[in-house]
Amino acid sequence: MNIASARQSATGASIRISRLEKRFGAVSAVDGVDIDIAAGEFVALLGPSGSGKTTILMSVAGFEFPTSGTIHVDSEDLTYVPSNRRNLGMVFQNYTLFPHLSILDNVAFPLKMRGLRTAERHARAEAALATVRLAGYGHRRPNELSGGQQQRVALARAIVYQPRVLLMDEPLSALDKNLREDMQLEIKRLHAELGITVIFVTHDQSEALTMADRIAVLRDGKIQQIGPARQLYERPTNLFTAGFIGEMNFVDVAVQSVGDDISVALPWGETWRLPATAAVERLAAGEAAVLAVRPERLQLGAGSPGQVVTVTLSDIVYAGSALLLIGRLPDGTEMRARIPGASQLSSLAPGDVASFTIPTEAMLLYRGKR
Amino acid sequence: MKPPTDRGSLALGAYVYAVLAFIIVPLVIVIPMSFSQNDYLAFPPSGFTLKWYAEYFDSRQWRAATWLSVQVALLTALFASVIGTAATYAMIRGRSRLVTVFQILLIGPIIVPHIALAVGLYLFFQTIGLSGTIPGFVLAHTVLTLPFVVFTMAAALGKVDANLEAAAMSCGASRFQAFRLVTLPLVLPSLASSALFAFIISFDEPVVSFFLSGVRQKTLPRRMFEDIEQNLTPVIPAIATLLIVLSILILLGAHVLRSRSVTR
Repeated sequence: MNIASARQSATGASIRISRLEKRFGAVSAVDGVDIDIAAGEFVALLGPSGSGKTTILMSVAGFEFPTSGTIHVDSEDLTYVPSNRRNLGMVFQNYTLFPHLSILDNVAFPLKMRGLRTAERHARAEAALATVRLAGYGHRRPNELSGGQQQRVALARAIVYQPRVLLMDEPLSALDKNLREDMQLEIKRLHAELGITVIFVTHDQSEALTMADRIAVLRDGKIQQIGPARQLYERPTNLFTAGFIGEMNFVDVAVQSVGDDISVALPWGETWRLPATAAVERLAAGEAAVLAVRPERLQLGAGSPGQVVTVTLSDIVYAGSALLLIGRLPDGTEMRARIPGASQLSSLAPGDVASFTIPTEAMLLYRGKR
Repeated sequence: MKPPTDRGSLALGAYVYAVLAFIIVPLVIVIPMSFSQNDYLAFPPSGFTLKWYAEYFDSRQWRAATWLSVQVALLTALFASVIGTAATYAMIRGRSRLVTVFQILLIGPIIVPHIALAVGLYLFFQTIGLSGTIPGFVLAHTVLTLPFVVFTMAAALGKVDANLEAAAMSCGASRFQAFRLVTLPLVLPSLASSALFAFIISFDEPVVSFFLSGVRQKTLPRRMFEDIEQNLTPVIPAIATLLIVLSILILLGAHVLRSRSVTR
């Protein structure tokens, strides 16, 4: 079964978050957020701490009630419905298994709350444990399991009653790196298998880029950008997202003219002509702007088409698959380049001056200063 | 070669054993006296008899005082553990700014001298007719024992992750179900041990009982004081011995309960 047909048989619910606001006293934790999530979609809420991502999730879960705005799941208004009547699956950061119950009773707990009889409860809990590859662990106690296993039990407990939405609040941040990557794949596999709608809160951008169909980048309670990973990475819509997702070089420039193409003055006196598509935001002549370029888009040498910069190297870092070169442009602005296939570059040393070519299509222009 | 003698640790050892001796000496004196054949309190005791125990169990007055104390202590244990647990839960999970005020009020009875509390309760209960009644004793003893329940339950509830209840609620449990099915089982050993403590504190509480006891309604400690003033027979050491045994049993019970909660 390919992904497209899995999508079609999806059993997830659609979620519509409209003009959500949550104020704590004078502070706005969430400030007018709109998100439309399709049935079966996997959406990550990504942002630094205090960006409001957890408050949004808690509002969907029913642990916070918004100051204003609405939350609909499949056109049913859940905004002020208590958390225990929402029928949503939830996985918390710290596993939150009930320490006095066996693994099987932990997983069967939601079924008990729904009045199922013991035999059926246990059969369905066993099945859910098998889904997270923990068949046969039912008789153990939570403290007899590793962190990764405990989080898988929490996952089984969240999906055992076949909810149409699964909410996850930084579920992997307590695990070490290898386990985290395994669990990322495990959750993706479950998502594809069950067709459930997932909202996943994380502060780890690589996690969000790897797992989600769409990512909402949040800052100060507002959505900065929402879109698929590729769009976010290749054409961030504002300076915050440009700096928050991945590595980015920024150079302050002055806009000289805007027409069929845009000419900008660089701090060291050169003037470059860039295509009009480079401007992500509307620019006007005479304004300050920021030129952004990803380190891996820089090419060593001056042969290929594009703009050439000279960089005085200060650090050369061997990073396995690529060589990271860090240096300064003529005006002192820092510039980083990631050059793959490091072997032929071994002659470079700190203090050398190297030329790099920046392809014109790799450059983006934003209003303002860096 | 022998290590040099450490005078400091020798002195400390002697000090520790002296303290232990002073704690144990009353027990060593009281228990043998309760078996003495003399009709008055004497040490060393002479002979061996169980007649003082028989006198205690045969006396209607002693039995009435004991039964009153048992009723009061049981009700006190019930009220103090329920109210104390609910109050501690509110203080630990609540977001109210008055938490500090509640805390001070709840543990106040430890700081306020019992005699001051007793005089105040005596005058108050006299006017509203609670003096010398079981509800009066229970109210007073509940106030006295609440701090012990609050301390025990604060330690226990502080160790329970608040997100466990959120998890239970996301599984479909109501707020109360989340408490009853998740938090309560986790703190039950501590709850039981704090109820035992409340029971024993109420059972041999003398000061407040002295003021609140009426002509007919006398708790066991109050009755013992009267007997000391009037007769001073070895019935007193006999009762004291029984109380010591009861306390040790309760302490052991509380210890077993708490060690069970640790292994969980």
